[in-house]
Amino acid sequence: MSDVKPTLTKCVGPVYRAESQKPTAVVSTDVEFDTVTILPQTPQLIALLSIIRNKDTQRGDFIFYSNRIIRLLVEEGLNHLPTVEHTVTTPVGRPYDGLSFQGKICGVSIMRAGEAMEQGLRECCRSVRIGKILIQRDEESARPKLFYDKLPEDIADRWVLLLDPMLATGGSAIMAVDVLKSRGVPEDRILFLNVLASPQGIQNFATKFPKLRLVTAFVDQGLDEKNYIIPGLGDFGDRYYTM
Amino acid sequence: MPASVAAELTAVFNGTTAPESNGTIAKRAHYAPPWADVSIIGIAGSSGSGKSTLSHAIVNKLNLPWVVILSIDSFYKSLDEEASRKAFRNEYDFDAPDAIDFDVLVERLRDLKAGKRAEIPVYSFEKHARTDRTTSIYSPHVLIVEGIFALYDPRVLELMDMKIFCEADADTCLSRRILRDQRDRGRDIEGIIKQWFAYVKPNFEKFVDPQRKVADIIVPRGVENQVAMSMVVQFIKQKLLEKSTHHRAALTRLEIGAQSEPISEKVTVMNQTSQMQGMNTIIHNIDTSSEDFIFYFDRLSALLVEQALNNIPFIPAEIATSQGRTYAGLRPKGEVSAVTVLRGGAALEAGLHRCITDCKTGRMLVQSNIRTGEPELHYLVLPPDIDKHEAVLLLDAQMSSGGSALMAVQVLVDHGVKADRIVLVTYSAGRMGLHRLTKVFPEITVVVGQVVQDIEERWVEKRYFRC
Repeated sequence: MSDVKPTLTKCVGPVYRAESQKPTAVVSTDVEFDTVTILPQTPQLIALLSIIRNKDTQRGDFIFYSNRIIRLLVEEGLNHLPTVEHTVTTPVGRPYDGLSFQGKICGVSIMRAGEAMEQGLRECCRSVRIGKILIQRDEESARPKLFYDKLPEDIADRWVLLLDPMLATGGSAIMAVDVLKSRGVPEDRILFLNVLASPQGIQNFATKFPKLRLVTAFVDQGLDEKNYIIPGLGDFGDRYYTM
Repeated sequence: MPASVAAELTAVFNGTTAPESNGTIAKRAHYAPPWADVSIIGIAGSSGSGKSTLSHAIVNKLNLPWVVILSIDSFYKSLDEEASRKAFRNEYDFDAPDAIDFDVLVERLRDLKAGKRAEIPVYSFEKHARTDRTTSIYSPHVLIVEGIFALYDPRVLELMDMKIFCEADADTCLSRRILRDQRDRGRDIEGIIKQWFAYVKPNFEKFVDPQRKVADIIVPRGVENQVAMSMVVQFIKQKLLEKSTHHRAALTRLEIGAQSEPISEKVTVMNQTSQMQGMNTIIHNIDTSSEDFIFYFDRLSALLVEQALNNIPFIPAEIATSQGRTYAGLRPKGEVSAVTVLRGGAALEAGLHRCITDCKTGRMLVQSNIRTGEPELHYLVLPPDIDKHEAVLLLDAQMSSGGSALMAVQVLVDHGVKADRIVLVTYSAGRMGLHRLTKVFPEITVVVGQVVQDIEERWVEKRYFRC
């Protein structure tokens, strides 16, 4: 039985513009978890999502525009990493009181769709280490099953950016986090970066891992009878790699 | 300044009024670019008296991009069929004032005097007609109007700051004319001589020569006359200096209120998240390697452009998803282009292309004068359809006093871009600069990486381009 939330329609645009001058669009469904960050629903983000949702968008455009969204996710995700105060001297010779990044990071993509987010990650974090996890549905039990993983050896000392663009029921994401935890990564040092989520997926995932931060661009209305996110954007991996 | 010109100037700045959130109407400050109220110098004289040689010699001697020559020959009237046949038989009187379209000339000169762009007709001497092409003149500080009737029309005289009459021996004039018309205008000698005695000479006595009376100086022997040349050059230099002084004084006047008044709500300062602060620290650190500087600057500029794109107009779009559902989304209302203010603005282009790969990009070079600090427009190429774009991102790496940003926005407005479609994107800006800019152009939107207190030298472009 599918469970679909009502859509939330809002005027979107910069604050200096009057409501009547802003176009309306369906924005992300709200969720009630402090650990979940939804990207600001700017008109630009809605327009980018509109492109990748559109079934007529060609693969080249799908790759380019999803990559723009992924970069915004990475930029937002990185804000959850620790920093320390750091004063430097500027080229014009005055002191500048700033911050410097602390802690080592690595990426872990859930194959195959998560690998589509690696380019965006590398555009923000040059030469970052990237581990991979392959999880597939077991034909007999219809439950997700771990088939393969290759992770940095010192992963327990790193912050982990876990990459998967689609969060439907949350089955594979939950299993991926279990793998990371079994390698000694504390839950509160994992950041899950996601393009499109279902309210059910968020509910399952955030309840299971109350200290794990999740950053998503948009929470959709729900799942259909086949557990696909709706209105959704289709199969992210297919659209990125093969369609 | 004639009343009509003043009226047009006001019109440029009063296109729309900007409502403020508190219900009061913002008091708009006035900015006049240095090319508004261009100084016009007229050079008249007989055909072959050396007017154009003198004009070119003056321009060469000044060697500045904002001294431009306008030949009255461009304003010959297009001939109808009968007149055209006469012209090909060398029986049409090209040397009478009637052959010149003074109405169009006056209109164009008034546009230039108002600081606007003017389209100058291109005349074909082979076809005796205006071609469908035009050349545009924009932003000269000094305009030299040269032609046998440069000092003829009283409406033109009224616009002129200096009037010169070139004098030369009649034999010299005729021999020069024969050589020139044969070489440049595809005429045969017989025709040229026929024209000379039938039209040129009588017209000279009747219309050209009397112009001496209105001239400020009469220059015999053209370019060979060194004393006259240096007088004219000296006068123009003085005019340029006055313009520069006025321009800088006008910029200074716009400073009032910069510290006390809040920054306009249409200025978006990037949220100083920890990543933003971390990147700013790397960018500001003199010990950062060039590789890191460029990497982090590109990363940050992509975020600036993403933020800027939130200010462009969007319209609702009904999307059919691959899941067979519909989604009520948005799409940009129309084309978005960019204009980079060189050299600094080019540092933001990597970020621009990460967001819009095929963005049409105009370029203008605005340099600050080393001695006076006055911004000067050296070079300008814009997409031809820029006035039809829904939004234009104006890119500059740093804005301190706001002088070059003001000039850049003025240039776009003069090319038909509505101010409310301009989004200025800059890595850092001084309060003063932001204040000046939004006082003069309250409609524009600004996206700035960080606001700094003081006027800073342009170190970002030095670091980015490594020289």
